[in-house]
Amino acid sequence: MQSLIVPGILDSLSEIGQFVNAAASAAGLEKKVAYRLRLAVDEIATNIIIHGYEDAGLSGDVGVLVEMDAVALTITLEDSSGPFDPRAFADPDHIYKPIEERPIGGLGVFLSKNNVDRFDYEYVNGHNRNIFVINRPKPS
Amino acid sequence: MAFKSVFEIVNGVAKITLSGELDAAVAPAFRIDIEKAAAAKVKAVALVMKDLEYMASAGLRALVFAKQKMGTQVEIYMIGLQETVMETITMTGFQNSVTFLDEYEAARIEGA
Repeated sequence: MQSLIVPGILDSLSEIGQFVNAAASAAGLEKKVAYRLRLAVDEIATNIIIHGYEDAGLSGDVGVLVEMDAVALTITLEDSSGPFDPRAFADPDHIYKPIEERPIGGLGVFLSKNNVDRFDYEYVNGHNRNIFVINRPKPS
Repeated sequence: MAFKSVFEIVNGVAKITLSGELDAAVAPAFRIDIEKAAAAKVKAVALVMKDLEYMASAGLRALVFAKQKMGTQVEIYMIGLQETVMETITMTGFQNSVTFLDEYEAARIEGA
């Protein structure tokens, strides 16, 4: 298992993105799938940093764990901000509205959940664990 | 590649050329350029995106802000999007509120 631990600040997003891209490349994911995985992880990492840490007046780290087997690549984001389960968020009902009639936010969690093959969440020992699973291409 | 947003006004159009990776950390630079466009009361906004390799929802939020601040009569053009960025745009329904072009078409955009 590979891991990365970075401070929970927005400037860490780029490093998280590069780490996920490297894992996607090692897993043999095609470019589009790798892009979707990076986007999914990036959106949740952004929420953790802005809402979990900054808005709550907290500081902490974000951990990124990579696990890979023959079937799937799994990325887990860990943080110590307050418990927050993105699965409890309903998909926004405004994506078919003209953008001038929309609220400013609400797309990040939607993009996270809908860009991976499986999204999961658990709260363990005071840590949020957001889990992103992408099926690896079958060997031809 | 580091994110860059370059702003210029060409014949009443705000032309913003984006390159690199647009995540929440760098989105304020894009938002500043959108605010400049709104303050200049331009007739259209042209986002040249062919070298934009990545865009998170922070970039979409700036577009919502742009449309709300400038009003529906200000057309937003997205030019030369990469396929992956386009996928995010369509997944979130933004394709109905902007116009896509492959290249910067001065006559069409500036003549609007």
